[in-house]
Amino acid sequence: MKKSTRLTVWAIGLIVFALFPKFFGIYYSNIIVTFAVWALFAVSLNMMLGFTGLLSFGHAMYFGTGAYGTALALTHMDGLPLIPAVLSGGVASMVLAICIAPLVVRVSGTAFAMLHLAFAQFMFVLALKLRDITGGEDGLGGFDIPPLQIKGLFSVDMADPLCFFYFAIAVIVIALCCLWFVTKTPFGQIMVGTRDNAKRIDYLGFRVSHTKAIVYIISAAAAGVAGSVSVLHQNLVSANDAYGMMISVFPIMMAMVGGARSFFGPIYGAAFFAMLEEFTTRYTDHFELILGVVLVVFIMYWPLGFAGMIMKLKYKWLTWKQSRKSQGSAS
Amino acid sequence: MDATTAMYVSQGMHGVAYGMVLFLLASGLTLILGMMGVFNLAHTCFFMLSAYFGYQTIHWTGSYWLALLVAPILTALFGILMERFLLKKVHAYGPIAELILTLGVSMIILDGVKVVWGTQSLPLSPPQSMQGLVDIMGLQYPVYRLFLIVLSLFLLLVMSIILYKTRLGMVVRAAVSDAEMVNALGINVPLVFMTVFGIGTWMAGVAGVAIAPILTVSPGLSHQMGMDAFIVVIVGGFGSLGGAFLVSLICGLLSSYGIQFFPQYAAILIFVFMAVVLTIKPEGLFGEKES
Repeated sequence: MKKSTRLTVWAIGLIVFALFPKFFGIYYSNIIVTFAVWALFAVSLNMMLGFTGLLSFGHAMYFGTGAYGTALALTHMDGLPLIPAVLSGGVASMVLAICIAPLVVRVSGTAFAMLHLAFAQFMFVLALKLRDITGGEDGLGGFDIPPLQIKGLFSVDMADPLCFFYFAIAVIVIALCCLWFVTKTPFGQIMVGTRDNAKRIDYLGFRVSHTKAIVYIISAAAAGVAGSVSVLHQNLVSANDAYGMMISVFPIMMAMVGGARSFFGPIYGAAFFAMLEEFTTRYTDHFELILGVVLVVFIMYWPLGFAGMIMKLKYKWLTWKQSRKSQGSAS
Repeated sequence: MDATTAMYVSQGMHGVAYGMVLFLLASGLTLILGMMGVFNLAHTCFFMLSAYFGYQTIHWTGSYWLALLVAPILTALFGILMERFLLKKVHAYGPIAELILTLGVSMIILDGVKVVWGTQSLPLSPPQSMQGLVDIMGLQYPVYRLFLIVLSLFLLLVMSIILYKTRLGMVVRAAVSDAEMVNALGINVPLVFMTVFGIGTWMAGVAGVAIAPILTVSPGLSHQMGMDAFIVVIVGGFGSLGGAFLVSLICGLLSSYGIQFFPQYAAILIFVFMAVVLTIKPEGLFGEKES
């Protein structure tokens, strides 16, 4: 893609987001915020799954820790400004990841996935049982969401859903840009290298387990930010919405359906799931059944997901153009 | 035997009974994992599915023994179908794709069960002859739990004889260490894989029908015991039967004594145990180090 077309695409995207609440109303804007949260969460998981080849069945543990981090910070600290509140979620997840990373980077593949399943379940049980801190099954809620302000300059009320829409989108886009930047650095190349051939990366003199640990911590922090935006949006966090099994499963499905090998794949996946949920829950309670079927079909027939399909189509289009060009020059 | 000792002993035996059924469940899982490198997340869903089949059989025929015979076989058929038509095709995409596939299947089973039988928990009573209490040196103990221990030990014995004393067991053990080489020697490895998968799900099925009278049949069954089974396989070491046996017993005892001494935190105990073991040995108690 040329630079000018890319800029146009970004500009159009920006305008669509800016005008969206005006045209579609607050109901659909809330759906967009939820979608954006999932998109960031799925991309953060995909930093591990698609780019480093580490599947985690317990990424909810970082989403949930981010959510609880922000909720606890807002409940217990009076006058905490908005930005530090969001960051506290990210930092909480990061701290947890730093504690767990030395343990988990030593394994990979199935062991890595199952270890996380168990750890996430552990966090779930903790959140349920430590009732004094986390509120148990009822969760934490009803805290005041501070306005976005610089003292004396301006103040935007975040209780207004419209303002929160813009704020949430901005935070998530910034976080996504940071992750995108990470994949483009030389470090990002080492990441992909550890996925494709860890031994070779080791021989080349890079440290595989350190690489994994750094990706792990970055991914956890991004998931934490997603959780924290989600808790600000819902104004409520409970054990099931934070650490539940399905919270770990959804981003994996989004990444697989959207295309795990591409950075933007999970975002397509998140969009697909948001639409699927919106339509299916109107007709049936058995959303999970449909999800399972979709997941199985995608794994069997399109393991590279939507992003893979797009790449394939693009490749076909390019070869078709090429063949026409060469025919034209031959005649 | 005085009352306090009797309480400790009976709690301990509850723990052993639970641990043995847990081992039935986990051994199928670890067999499949060791053999094919597939961590079958749908395994615990098959376990739950079998409990439902058992419930349905009893509903129709009224015989618990028939249910214990039929339901696991039906479940094993489902397992074999899944291996043949789904898992095998995805094998080429690597272990992560296989894991996610089994996740998809488990979601389908979990929600499919709700479609057919609803979400309420269904009672399943043990057979008439197993309902009483038995007197062991002054300790009143339910016969059914004793039966569970005996059944599990019997199956364990049969399994280990097959695995270590027969030709099939030799092929299986050889295929675990090097499937490609065994295939090259002219043994139909895909068929062996299918058999092992079938036996593994069959054992999960037996566990499902066996535990159903104690826990009642509900969609939560797969989460309730499934998590413990996963932990058993992780902590015991991937693919290690002996490890799975030991850790199943520890888990059973931890959960039964845990409920007695710290009812509030019993659910956490197993995870603490897991965290301690894995901090010292990330590959599990009897696991081999990944190269």
